[in-house]
Amino acid sequence: MRALRTKVAVFALTGVIAASLTACSGGNAAQSGPVDLTMALWSSNEAHLALLNQIGDAYVAEHGDEVSSITFEPVTNPDYIAGLTTQIAGGDVPDLAWIPEASGPEFVKEGILYDVSTVLESADGYEVDDILPAALTPWQDDDGSIFGYPFSNSPFALYVNNDLVAAAGQPDVAALSGTPDYTWQTVTDIAAATNAATGAAGLNIPTFTPTNWSTVTMLGTAWGAEPWSEDGTSCGFDSPEMVDYLTWYQDQITRGAIPAVAGNAAPAAFASGDVAFSIAQLSQSGSLDDTFDWTFLPLPSGPEGYHPIVGQAAVSVLERSENKDQAAGFLAYLTNPDNAALLAQFFPPPRESLLNVETLSQAAPKLSPEEIQAAIIDVVPVADVKAQNPALSQFTDKVRAALDPVWSGGDVVEATTTVCEQISPILEG
Amino acid sequence: MAQSTATKIALYVILIAASVPFLYPTLWMFFSSFKPANEIFTQPPTLLPREWTLDGFVQVFTAQPFVQQYGNSIYIAVIVTTASIVLSAMAGYAFARIEFPFRNAAFVVMLAAMMVPSEVTIIPIFTAVNSLGLNDTHWPLIILPIFGPTAVVSVFIFRQHFLAFPKEFEEAARLDGVSRVGIFFRIAMPLARPAIAAVGIMAFLRSFNMYFEALIFLRTPENFTLGLAITRYQDFYGEQMWTTQLGAASLTVIPILVVFLFAQKQFVQGLTQGGLKG
Amino acid sequence: MAFVAPQLLGVIILGLVPFLFVIWYSLNEWRPLTGEMEFIGLANYEQLSSDPTFYASVAASLLFGVAILVFNLGIALSLAVLLNQRLRGITTFRTIFFSPVVVSVVAWSVTWGFLLAPNGGINGFLKLVGINGPNWLGDPSTALISVVAVQVFKGVGMNMVLFLAALQSVPEEMLEAAQLDGASRWRSFRSITVPMIAPTILLTSILTTIGSLEVFAPVQLLTGGGPGDSTNVLPFLLFRTAFVSQQFGYASAIGVVLFAIILGLTLLQWFTRRRWVHDEV
Repeated sequence: MRALRTKVAVFALTGVIAASLTACSGGNAAQSGPVDLTMALWSSNEAHLALLNQIGDAYVAEHGDEVSSITFEPVTNPDYIAGLTTQIAGGDVPDLAWIPEASGPEFVKEGILYDVSTVLESADGYEVDDILPAALTPWQDDDGSIFGYPFSNSPFALYVNNDLVAAAGQPDVAALSGTPDYTWQTVTDIAAATNAATGAAGLNIPTFTPTNWSTVTMLGTAWGAEPWSEDGTSCGFDSPEMVDYLTWYQDQITRGAIPAVAGNAAPAAFASGDVAFSIAQLSQSGSLDDTFDWTFLPLPSGPEGYHPIVGQAAVSVLERSENKDQAAGFLAYLTNPDNAALLAQFFPPPRESLLNVETLSQAAPKLSPEEIQAAIIDVVPVADVKAQNPALSQFTDKVRAALDPVWSGGDVVEATTTVCEQISPILEG
Repeated sequence: MAQSTATKIALYVILIAASVPFLYPTLWMFFSSFKPANEIFTQPPTLLPREWTLDGFVQVFTAQPFVQQYGNSIYIAVIVTTASIVLSAMAGYAFARIEFPFRNAAFVVMLAAMMVPSEVTIIPIFTAVNSLGLNDTHWPLIILPIFGPTAVVSVFIFRQHFLAFPKEFEEAARLDGVSRVGIFFRIAMPLARPAIAAVGIMAFLRSFNMYFEALIFLRTPENFTLGLAITRYQDFYGEQMWTTQLGAASLTVIPILVVFLFAQKQFVQGLTQGGLKG
Repeated sequence: MAFVAPQLLGVIILGLVPFLFVIWYSLNEWRPLTGEMEFIGLANYEQLSSDPTFYASVAASLLFGVAILVFNLGIALSLAVLLNQRLRGITTFRTIFFSPVVVSVVAWSVTWGFLLAPNGGINGFLKLVGINGPNWLGDPSTALISVVAVQVFKGVGMNMVLFLAALQSVPEEMLEAAQLDGASRWRSFRSITVPMIAPTILLTSILTTIGSLEVFAPVQLLTGGGPGDSTNVLPFLLFRTAFVSQQFGYASAIGVVLFAIILGLTLLQWFTRRRWVHDEV
């Protein structure tokens, strides 16, 4: 009996120690001797990993005295942040990690990310100025610190199924692009007509679910609608512009231009050929072939003009890493002009020198040079990053719950007023 | 009781109608694995593929080490089932037949533990698993179901069964000088086949389809179990490969169903004999 | 003693000790990514008591619990009665009704997602008989019942088999004797069969209640808690609070409350058992 009691005590003690070790984040003194680095990421794509390992190996070969190995560990949880959080809460802190742009401001504000500005600026040939300000600013602080390198800047574009649109007797949308007639209203008119004529879905946003509401609200910038103020402290949902935009969006659902929202269930894929228009990033082109004729266009304009939008992913060093300096060194190497060009095979880069058709056609093999120019190269330098807020993770579910009535024909004013009632206290901090 | 033909027909009609929500989704899942990737979204939706293709199934094996994952699930489930049966039977027997100190308190403790949801306790357990270096191994997936709160149901079932057991057998054996352990293994267990069947099937299914624990503890695809692997079919750009997922799910389900089709007589008849009638 | 030790200890170490940790976490504010843990006493619980989303979540959970319990047990018992006949091919039907139990919950939920879509299989079928089906998952009035249906059809097979076993252990002689005495089928069902299978009903009732309050995967895959908070059950709220809002302390408090609710409902059923179960359970 005593033996058993001792075992229980030991186990419980281990648990307590483990938990308290996690709680007291240690700023351990930098280790001497070569260290093993780990990077968490959400992609388990073999080609991505092969490239990263190649770059990692090259770094270790040159800096073997500092770094003995670099391991890239995909977080297999489909909810990347949930998986990363579990991992870190359990005591397994990676040195570097991919960070989605929605989490950026919060992580910066909470001090989760390590400032790598000095390392990047002092690295030979790094050329910090080559990085587009529009891309880098979301990852900076007011005092010039840099908390991440935005290795992926993927614009949102309008995919058009030309065959389907033509079958419904509608005009050629690609020809409209660049003219003053290329507006959201025109596009949804065509979408509604196509839906009426063929029964196919008009315009869908594949990544939209009520949980992921920002993929709809982000388009409101073309109406001058911002979900919150520039400094993120006051709610913009109940502004007249947002109400106008959401009412317009709701009308489109009612008239069939945009399919009805059905919970989290998967929407029709553009690749199925049964969708006229789709708002998505570059990655959707991967599943397309020439079964039907399609185009990749910049977003249309709204009542307040043309407002391109970009989604980002950055790579950062975590403040809680025990090997921050070595990790920062690798980050500088990974994202220097040469390696950035290699990364650009898969991800639209933030470096101005790499924003050209030759580099990008590797990341976008199915797009024509004109499409790359118009919808990526011309867009990235002037695009706004999807709206971010340091407290986003605290209120995103409250927004979802309050905004749900909008998708099913409810009162827009009431919904948006409720949103602001719910989230203003959190925004004000 | 004899039935008229009319009653029989009525019964069949009701049974067939009732079967639809149970069978149709599985059938849809199965047939959709044979569809080309885009046909899942056609309007109006179809049950049978317009175009039969094995692409979905081929990708099941090429996109992930599916065979190895299948093997993982099976060997883990076998270990968990066997150990579960033995340990929960022992505990159930103890609660039913052995007067030990604090027996009632212990029973309440087990009841209480059964009600703790796993989402709630996963963090402290994860911390401990991590500090023991057992991350990304199968150990947590084996230890947790056998020793953890989910085993309490099995203990329940065995306790029920042994409670209804006639005491004369054991008393006779005791008079003959057989030890407690001997009685358990040579008399009680052989007659506990119904409970063993019930507990065995439940434990096997729970382990085989385990998702949440696998999600938290496993990292490398080679270590995945099926419940988790099914959700991981994504293409180059991270888009879901629906037909492949459904194909993998079908491959997971069919063998079990076949086994059940043949073994269910034992299962049900087994449960009947003094198992749960109290 | 040694007989019970492994299982008992296991349950304590893997079930109760972690729960004690969870109680401890609930008294702190813990942001896992920064690693900071700050003792704040009962502040989390105070915040819970004034959080409308929490109350909506409790309401959703209780609705879920009641709905699943009623439909699951009702359908399971009905099916068991139906299957308790000597008919050709009855074992095939038994397998059919049991089959969803074997399917992975993720695959089952995803498949139903396709079927419940506005243009999905169910509405397609309804259109054939001239009914315009609602947007099952998008309409606040149908979302909850849709998720309940998905969960019920998945789990009812297991309870059905348990009931079937219990039904088959009701002695034939008693039922025949009742028939000879002129009792109707319904009367003998009510007065003989049900009391005899009452222990099984109790067991399945307790297990189903516990299970219904822990439903997670269908909510995550089908509705994400919406529309509004109509399907935002406690396990889902817990998950979002912990892993999206990164508030482990607050989430732990939710976990403690969830356990209390489960405990309460289970004890309620356990201690009122003498009212309707006559054999010692």
